[in-house]
Amino acid sequence: MIKRTLYFGSQAYLRTNTEQMVIELSESGEIKSAPIEDIGVLILDHQQITITQSLIAKLLANNVALITCDNTHHPVGLMLNLDGHTLQSQKFQCQVEASVPLKKQLWQQTVEAKLVNQAAVLKAERINNKYILNLAQKVKSGDSDNCEAQAASYYWKYIFPDFLEFRRERYGPPPNNLLNYGYALVRAIVARGLVASGLLPTLGIFHRNQYNAYCLADDIMEPYRPFVDKIVCQIIRGNGRFLEMTPSMKKMLLEIPVMDVLIDGQKSPLMNAVQRTTASLAKCFEGKGRKILYPVLE
Amino acid sequence: MFNRLNAYRIMWVLVFFDLPTETKKDRKQYALFRKRVLADGFQMFQFSMYIRHCSSRENADVHLKRIKSILPPKGHVGIMCVTDKQFGMMEIFRGHDLVNGPETIQQLELF
Repeated sequence: MIKRTLYFGSQAYLRTNTEQMVIELSESGEIKSAPIEDIGVLILDHQQITITQSLIAKLLANNVALITCDNTHHPVGLMLNLDGHTLQSQKFQCQVEASVPLKKQLWQQTVEAKLVNQAAVLKAERINNKYILNLAQKVKSGDSDNCEAQAASYYWKYIFPDFLEFRRERYGPPPNNLLNYGYALVRAIVARGLVASGLLPTLGIFHRNQYNAYCLADDIMEPYRPFVDKIVCQIIRGNGRFLEMTPSMKKMLLEIPVMDVLIDGQKSPLMNAVQRTTASLAKCFEGKGRKILYPVLE
Repeated sequence: MFNRLNAYRIMWVLVFFDLPTETKKDRKQYALFRKRVLADGFQMFQFSMYIRHCSSRENADVHLKRIKSILPPKGHVGIMCVTDKQFGMMEIFRGHDLVNGPETIQQLELF
């Protein structure tokens, strides 16, 4: 089933009562509750959140990824239970010992899937996608020709309407803010999926920035990025150049985890597709498979 | 783009019960049952009527099964499943005023 993701960006007191998480919002005085077993990811992103120890223990017992952020809103810690998967240590071992050729092959598949999905977004926006489709067929092991970057420079140039004069920068002007928001959601979903499959989200197959705690999550989310782009395209179609975040935009982005994707010939919500992807990745590390299952954008 | 999870797949499980409260033992059984229902993530809708949002049929089955496993020895318990579509068509009144029903739970929530 799809687990819930709860993000706390304001002052709150979190405690537990009868297996529920009780949320006391100090600003509005509202008290809400959520069943702990329905939660997948919990993100704490405010300096004045108080959380009780018994709640933490219950969250971890239910395989919840508990993410804390620092004062710049960057995730600094991921707290996960010691046995997210019954064969955790075996799976970690396989991941650590994965050979370089295997990682390169996995990265090749990842880039291919990403480019195909990017091409699909361009097609949906009625933009010529032949260049990226061609590139997708030429991706080599480990993406040694850096097709990903070549595709990106074309993709970001044409994906959004000309009047936006778009440049993809993390802290750049809108719609960068919408993209970052969507990607952050997907990243959290992927990180939890990895942990549930018994993998360490830190050890990447391609990304290896020493400051990045979620290298593997960043690798695996690549083919999922175009799904976010597609939603952002929709928002732009509805809002033109007025792209400061509004509640209605937030709502559209919040629906990303339940977005339909086609994976392995079946339609499934994105959040479940991520779990299939991470499970197939774990099999690749163990040598039981050679292919990561990635979704296809229609 | 959002058909897989829709108002026909999301389910609400309703549990309604009449339990005897004559003896001290009965009351204890009643309190225990009610507490277990709450622990399973149900919320009170009216007295002796509890509801739970389930994101899929499969998930609803889990909670149906769980309620069946904690039934009290005596008393009258009803369990019902309706789709979110049907649940959403319910009209709720406070006095003569139409009020909003419980919100459908979002997969991702910002506080």
